[in-house]
Amino acid sequence: MYSFFNNVKEKGLQWNAVEAADRNYFADAPYITISDEDTENILSFVNKKEAESVNVMVMNDSLSRETFVFNRGEYDQPAEKVTFNTPKIILPFTDKYPKNRLGLAMWMTDENNPLTARVFVNRTWEMLFGVGLVETVEDFGVQGSLPTHPKLLDWLAKDFMEHDWDIKYLIKKIMLSATYQQTSVASKAQKKADPENKLLGRAPRFRMTGEMIRDYFLTTSGLLNPEIGGPSVRPYQPAGLWEETNAGGNRGTLTKYIPDTNEKLYRRSLYTFWKRTLPPPGMTIFDAPTRDYCEVRRQKTNTPLQALALQNDVQMLEAARVLAQKTLLNNKDSEELVKTIFKRILLRTPKEKELEVLKKYHNETLMKYSSSIEDAEKLIAQGEYKQLETDPVKTAALMLTAQVIYNLDETITKE
Amino acid sequence: MDDDNKKSEDPLKINRRHFFSQLSVGIGSLALGSLLIPDLFSSKDPGLITHQLGIPQFAPKAKRIIYLFQAGAPSQLESFDYKPTLKKRMGEDLPDSIRNGQRLTGMTSGQDKFPLMPSAVNFKQYGKSGAWVSDFFPHIGKIADELCFVKSMHTEAINHDPAITFFQTGSQQSGRPSMGSWMSYGLGSENKNLPSFVVLTSRGKGNSQGLYSKLWSSGFLDSKHQGVLLRSGKDPVLYLNDPDGLSRSDKRHLLDNVSSLNKIHHVDTGDDEIESRIAQYEMAYRMQMSVPDVMDIKQEPEHIIKLYGEDCQVPGTYAANALQARRLAENGVRFIQLYHQGWDQHGGLPHEMAGQAKDVDQASAALILDLKQRGMLEDTLVVWGGEFGRTNYCQGNFDPKNYGRDHHPRAFSIWMAGGGIKPGITYGKTDEFGYNVVENPVHINDFHATLMHAMGINHEELTYKYQGRRFRLTDVAGDVVKDILT
Repeated sequence: MYSFFNNVKEKGLQWNAVEAADRNYFADAPYITISDEDTENILSFVNKKEAESVNVMVMNDSLSRETFVFNRGEYDQPAEKVTFNTPKIILPFTDKYPKNRLGLAMWMTDENNPLTARVFVNRTWEMLFGVGLVETVEDFGVQGSLPTHPKLLDWLAKDFMEHDWDIKYLIKKIMLSATYQQTSVASKAQKKADPENKLLGRAPRFRMTGEMIRDYFLTTSGLLNPEIGGPSVRPYQPAGLWEETNAGGNRGTLTKYIPDTNEKLYRRSLYTFWKRTLPPPGMTIFDAPTRDYCEVRRQKTNTPLQALALQNDVQMLEAARVLAQKTLLNNKDSEELVKTIFKRILLRTPKEKELEVLKKYHNETLMKYSSSIEDAEKLIAQGEYKQLETDPVKTAALMLTAQVIYNLDETITKE
Repeated sequence: MDDDNKKSEDPLKINRRHFFSQLSVGIGSLALGSLLIPDLFSSKDPGLITHQLGIPQFAPKAKRIIYLFQAGAPSQLESFDYKPTLKKRMGEDLPDSIRNGQRLTGMTSGQDKFPLMPSAVNFKQYGKSGAWVSDFFPHIGKIADELCFVKSMHTEAINHDPAITFFQTGSQQSGRPSMGSWMSYGLGSENKNLPSFVVLTSRGKGNSQGLYSKLWSSGFLDSKHQGVLLRSGKDPVLYLNDPDGLSRSDKRHLLDNVSSLNKIHHVDTGDDEIESRIAQYEMAYRMQMSVPDVMDIKQEPEHIIKLYGEDCQVPGTYAANALQARRLAENGVRFIQLYHQGWDQHGGLPHEMAGQAKDVDQASAALILDLKQRGMLEDTLVVWGGEFGRTNYCQGNFDPKNYGRDHHPRAFSIWMAGGGIKPGITYGKTDEFGYNVVENPVHINDFHATLMHAMGINHEELTYKYQGRRFRLTDVAGDVVKDILT
């Protein structure tokens, strides 16, 4: 496969980063220019935001270079000359496909190619269940694990293709199933009989990814900006991180981290700007890969740094503050307030025991801050989002109550 | 993650095959491991970050490593590799017989001449060992009898990024776990309240190259082994500080309520991961106390401040980090990685390097003396060095007072001290031009193997299976340099 993508001359950055930025030069030829006309017609699936045209790097198929197997990997010892092909066992790469990247795309999505749809369906399953039907989602080869439910995987893959590779359809199909809608509560007997839940006798419980967690805080607090497409954004990040490790001096746009303002702070994490030499810490702390290696399956660790980020990242504190203020605007009674934010964050009504704990905590915190309004004012000064017209003491108390809920295992866990 | 690794990380899940493969290590070492790491097998408390793999395979000489990395590559010819021949043959072209086809960087490959350039700074011999050290490093010279100079280091990489990545991860291509992560994975932590692998950075005024968080990444190992960057500002660990208006007791109160609710949910769901979450929150709470405490150098007495130099009171300097390193070592941190940027002298070397040396000389020596007076040098291994050497010929204009040197991978010097390393010796030798290693070459893989050996790990046996094969820090190479071990 590699050689499919190697039919091009490799071109690196021609100037240093500062010059590149000054000349607005990021892509070397060949590139295509996308204009408004394109996005209104043939490229309607592209979400181009600026009115001006955008240059996008493309690969040039016209060159064909010779490829060799290197003797024991030594670059100066080319041995056997090879040419590209695909594994026949999957589907022979016959003459009906052109021998270029278009051909590869046609081969991959051919209805007789069993692999692509299975792999995709399996990854979607993993996203929803925490574990794929084939556990090694990155490896369907001889080193990978066997599917737990081969017929199900096959049926889903076929169904997915028959419905025009419609991802939304696929997700609905899975989520509306009885299997997906089971409870994740596990009885002792269940845990003993099937500790890893391979037979899907219950719903899984697993910690969400860094991106999901941040998006979850934004959504439940009502801060989320659901806008789709456009260039990456720079949300909050602890000050000085880029500056401490860069090479000093002016090294172009990546020298200093300048956070965005206003609604750009609340875009989905998918749009967060990614500097490869220093990725956003709020993501890597929750096991987002550094993107040096392809990492299909993420780890799901549980560390003290995660606890600190959830407690003290301004993005999280702001969510608790804004949720508290928005709730206070519409509710008066203490029990009602606590119930509302609980339901807002956990999407369920609190149990009697839980409500008791939270009500008590809310009242104690109210008392504490009534005697120190200054502390309340300091505490609620979190984030850029405008302060709503609420009483600082009440806001502080409800904000901390929201923080308690935001820091529960259940909140960052998909169950 | 691979099943194989999961099992090895959890002692309760060891299967039969795994048990027998561990036998090569020897049952006796299990007991040894639990002696060295007291909480090793009390894994009932999930709050521990001790690693169940935490088993030195044989009696370790070093319990921890402090790595004083000089990023940018300081010149060996103006520091520890004294070459009077360069003075005699100043200005002569580097003989082809010496260069021997060595590839050059794009920065000097265009030069039509490679005139030999002697050091602008003088050298002196120090101590009983008679080690030659340049006048840029008088403090290091004075402790020469504590040090083991390795003058025969060599690498394949010729540019900073791959070269540093090679030193830190054992591979020029990024993505592998860092050395500190391997140590954490193999040996666990000695302290419940601090991470086992921490990183401190500083920058001099010399020409700098960037650092990347991938240098202290845990790669494919569990991310609890990743290096934690301790910063000089008010938030030494990211997100460590509570917001204003929330006191310590308020925080305790908040966490107690988080815990009660988590416990209710634990009973309801029966998922033990919740217990682990509670423990991690407690650890985070303890770190909020322990980290600022360790970082607070105001507790240090006057004579220590003097020892490290006045700079050590300025947060973010190399001197402050060196002192910090000792405090972290005392508190059981397994791997302490410092980086000092600014050693990339392609031009203006005499002036720039004098400044860089001034940044690090006194504090590096002070660290050794300080560890020694506390009896900690015996089991703390200190390393000082960069990612490659510099050319013996001049880059740019030929001016003996103001010249530059390009990257040189074929020979360079580092020093080590303490934890199982012979003091007062010099290992390896370069030719009279300081260009090629002529005796006892030490490759980065050998260097890694030696460090791991000092820590009680056989570098060939600490492996992690990933993408279908077993990886190790030294990959498929590396020999322990026995001659420098005590």
